[in-house]
Amino acid sequence: MAQVKLSAVRKAYGAVIAVHGVDLVIDDGELVVFLGPSGCGKSTTLRMIAGLETITSGTLHIGDRDVTALEPKDRNIAMVFQNYALYPHKTIRENLAFGLRMHKMDRAEIEKRVGEASSVLGLNELLDRKPRQLSGGQMQRVALGRALVREPEVFLLDEPLSNLDAKLRVKMREEIARLQKQVGTSMVYVTHDQVEAMTLADRIVIMKDGHVQQVGAPLEVYDRPANLFVAGFIGSPEMNLVEGRVVQGRFEAGEFSIDLPKGMTAEENSAISLGIRPEHIEIDDTASDIAFTADIIEQLGAQTLCAGTAQGVRLRVMTTRRDDVHRGSGFSLRFPANRLHFFNTETGNRISTEH
Amino acid sequence: MSSKATFTLFLIIGLLVTLALIAAPVVYAISLSFYTMDSFVADPEWIGLANYARILSTGAFWNALGNGLVYSISTIVLQVVLGIGMALVLNQAFPGRNLVRGLSILPYLLPTVVIVLTFKWMVDGSIGILTKAIAALGLPPIHWFESPQAAMASSVMVSVWLWTPFVTTAFLAGLQTVPTSLYEAAKVDGTNAIQRFYHITLPMLKPVLTVVVLLRAVWTFNKFDVIWLLTGGGPVGSTEHLAILSYTTAFTKFDIGGGATIATLSFLFLAISVFIYFRIFPLDEEES
Repeated sequence: MAQVKLSAVRKAYGAVIAVHGVDLVIDDGELVVFLGPSGCGKSTTLRMIAGLETITSGTLHIGDRDVTALEPKDRNIAMVFQNYALYPHKTIRENLAFGLRMHKMDRAEIEKRVGEASSVLGLNELLDRKPRQLSGGQMQRVALGRALVREPEVFLLDEPLSNLDAKLRVKMREEIARLQKQVGTSMVYVTHDQVEAMTLADRIVIMKDGHVQQVGAPLEVYDRPANLFVAGFIGSPEMNLVEGRVVQGRFEAGEFSIDLPKGMTAEENSAISLGIRPEHIEIDDTASDIAFTADIIEQLGAQTLCAGTAQGVRLRVMTTRRDDVHRGSGFSLRFPANRLHFFNTETGNRISTEH
Repeated sequence: MSSKATFTLFLIIGLLVTLALIAAPVVYAISLSFYTMDSFVADPEWIGLANYARILSTGAFWNALGNGLVYSISTIVLQVVLGIGMALVLNQAFPGRNLVRGLSILPYLLPTVVIVLTFKWMVDGSIGILTKAIAALGLPPIHWFESPQAAMASSVMVSVWLWTPFVTTAFLAGLQTVPTSLYEAAKVDGTNAIQRFYHITLPMLKPVLTVVVLLRAVWTFNKFDVIWLLTGGGPVGSTEHLAILSYTTAFTKFDIGGGATIATLSFLFLAISVFIYFRIFPLDEEES
């Protein structure tokens, strides 16, 4: 177990820069999720930690060791790949033991570790089979087992659940979380699925175009997104973002107008964006300040999602289930001040408010 | 026409073609081995297994079988080793890779006679580039077609030259099906390049290797043109294998029954060898 420290880690392929100087400390035993859309540099960063990509500049430390220039085999890491990467010609037992054999471990110790890992992951019945005789979920468990037996200082997981169906993904997600807490080893987990990130992570690192956008605990990035990208990326359904201007202490976007929170400092007439999550907009049939007409109703079971227009602005509103709404239904909306987010439209950065 | 009728029609055409062009000549050739004939127009005389007893008791048959084995095994081993080596190189990314890949297949595209004549010029006693090179190095001259060992080596070299591109292409295709993540997983698991070759590359190439070795064994064992054009089976039978012995027995000694017997024995030997090979290296791993 060890701390992982990235200092200005950068990756360039010729003129194309894939990762622009990442600074990050992953604490001992912490589960950090790299989250972002395709091509944001999250997998490249993980592969640099693994040693599968060279680091163009910057340094990487695992524990006290500078591993920047070391081969993967010398970094004491274990990795789980998106397509499992099990050796198809070897049995499950051989797959689990292979890394230990290559490290010239004592035979009895190999058997002990393989036995323990297969018990923890429920692989005992499968040890003499070949990977092609296993289901996707079983293969994923073997891939986890192969990492587990190594007892590395860091686990690296590259979109490990993306090849599984939705139901199995939830199950494996829980299993990974349980395992990580059980062994207490630092884990770096890459995904583009924000639900995986929110449910698994101690901290989330959100990336875009090779830049880290925000690092924080799941609820921290949900409650206080650092910029417009994070605001739009985290949360499902997506946060409502409305571009407008500051006019006499109010936010205005065409006919749409709302009071700015007390203590918020924004220059008159400056371009700012208002953000509010669909689930934070309240339907208040008694108030009459903002009238909303729904034109799309999505019944999700426990909740109802309405899309429509309020004073010329497109909004999505999520409420607890309401069976009485249908196309054309009108409501009054309330925007709780402590749920409002404001961003500088030009820079995209969050404008701090009092709360 | 209904789909069943179309199916039957094509099946019958296929069967007739197979019967006329493959089955009938094979049956005819095998049947000839039970007769004695001194020409193809003479009346055949039934002698049962007498040809087999006679051929199997001659030293020439066993010498040709031995030569065929030496020639085939040497050629296949060299082709496989060079083919895998070249495939590994051609699988790497380097500038001009596609051009090099294209050039590497060139010998395979040339007619055998062109390759053989080119090799003969290269080792010509007065103007050959290899002869000159050997002389420049101060080494004694090699009598390529006069010494038995050199003649066999020449036959093997030309065959390797001619057929390695095929083997390389097959292995290159095989290498491209190996997922990169397997190599990456093996790197993380602590392997070095040689260990990755033995633990990933070779096992992943096994299906291609099995087929390539089988095809090359069958083709090389029956290969006639290279040796015939290069050495004619000489000197003194040192490169004469069963295909050449069968030809010379039937067409220069006009012992038609004897030639057919050698061809039949060669066919039987190959058939049994292929059967044993499939028992040891089944194509479908599920059966193992």
